[in-house]
Amino acid sequence: MVSLSAENLGLTYRLRQKFTFRPKDKRMPTGGRIGGKGRTRFVTALDGISFKLNAGDRLGLVGSNGAGKTTLLKVLYGIYEPSAGSVEINGRVDALFNIRLGFRPEATGRRNIVLRGLINGWNENEIAARMDEIIGFSELGDFIDLPFKGYSQGMAARLAFSIATAMEPEILLMDEWIGAGDPSFQDKARARMDELAEKAGIIVLASHNHTLLQKTCNKIMELKGGKMVYFGPLNEYFK
Amino acid sequence: MLNVFASALADIRAGLRLRRVWMALAHEDIGDQHRRTTLGPLWLLFNYLAFAGTFIFVFQRGDASTPHYSAYVATGLLVWFYMMETLTQSVTLFVREENFIKGTTLPLSTYVMRMATQSVMRAGYAMVGCLAILALSDVTFTAVWGWSVLAVILIILTAPAAITLFAFLGAYFPDSQFLVSNLMRIGMFLTPVFWTPGGHGIRNALYYYNPFTYFLEIVRIPILTGNVPVRSFMLCAAIACALWVVALVLLGRLRKQVVFVL
Repeated sequence: MVSLSAENLGLTYRLRQKFTFRPKDKRMPTGGRIGGKGRTRFVTALDGISFKLNAGDRLGLVGSNGAGKTTLLKVLYGIYEPSAGSVEINGRVDALFNIRLGFRPEATGRRNIVLRGLINGWNENEIAARMDEIIGFSELGDFIDLPFKGYSQGMAARLAFSIATAMEPEILLMDEWIGAGDPSFQDKARARMDELAEKAGIIVLASHNHTLLQKTCNKIMELKGGKMVYFGPLNEYFK
Repeated sequence: MLNVFASALADIRAGLRLRRVWMALAHEDIGDQHRRTTLGPLWLLFNYLAFAGTFIFVFQRGDASTPHYSAYVATGLLVWFYMMETLTQSVTLFVREENFIKGTTLPLSTYVMRMATQSVMRAGYAMVGCLAILALSDVTFTAVWGWSVLAVILIILTAPAAITLFAFLGAYFPDSQFLVSNLMRIGMFLTPVFWTPGGHGIRNALYYYNPFTYFLEIVRIPILTGNVPVRSFMLCAAIACALWVVALVLLGRLRKQVVFVL
């Protein structure tokens, strides 16, 4: 049975002054709270987050920009290692963050499907099994054997979307709901996303779109400055 | 400290399981770099032959002081180009892979191995040129050449450690990409790639106190003289071990931290 829980989860990292000959590295983090002084400044991106999700739960993450939504998703996915607390995951985690990541302009659409599949952790048989379905869904036809760089924006988006959603997630993490293509494809994409959400045991979706969250989720977590200010049923949050 | 090594080894094990990913990406990288050119990756062979031919033509003295000079340059350039390209490219590795590091859970060793594989592929084209020059030169093939093959394997096995170290260096010290790039360019003239030891003191000092010399020697000496440079082999093996220890410590300590400095 899939489940996802976090206990007192925290992420604090040092804001490193890079060793450089430039006078000062002025880059700043996009969110969280900054503490310390001089060379020992640190960012508290997440602080004391605890929750438990069971099969069938759809959690919507809300909060202003920099509140910690994406950071929490990346901690749950394993990109960031928490500096405090723990995460317990039962089930395979898939994420839809940047669906266009890793596309190679010079390679054909078909080759890009293979490469993206390998990056997703699929083996050759899994790639072969999904190939026709991905090509069919993307509606690229003979263009699939032409270089990716020759695709229109819509074609590229359709291929990226088709590959990214060709999975059977147990736990699905999403940074904003994704859509792609022209109006006719958008309907198809919407149906695919609904289907994906239905298949997934647990969904965690970060979004500013409250209408979408009300349609998709049953629980809400609100983050503010890296702290959880609400976690509970969606109905109570939007009451 | 044991945890650090365990963490690094876990990353490497995960990276090795994903060998199909880095091999495919390295193959694409080589293809992309020469796509739409007439010669394709054969440009790598042409570049090598152009350099080797120029050095041999310009610096060969034709007297007894530099025996087997063409083979000397051919082997020296092969090893030097491999080391120079590997180190120069490594410094920007994690910066180039920033989007992947921030967007996927691929282990860092995936990027290291992608880079290492790409370097070996590039050197493979140069090696064809090197073998052609050796075949045309006055050196005689003997069983001792097997030691040169071992030397090449040792260098290739050292490369992932060096790539790891330089990739972290570049991530934490952005200026290092220019420092390393300039040092490696100058290094070509400070390393006995095309010149031989002897003469005044500075040249001898550069020969004997330059660690790159020994990586060139372990490939070159068995081919040129039929002898096995045991001390050079031991020194290179020691450098390789030291690099691997440093690389494992860095990987174990920083693999989950580097994402915050990119």
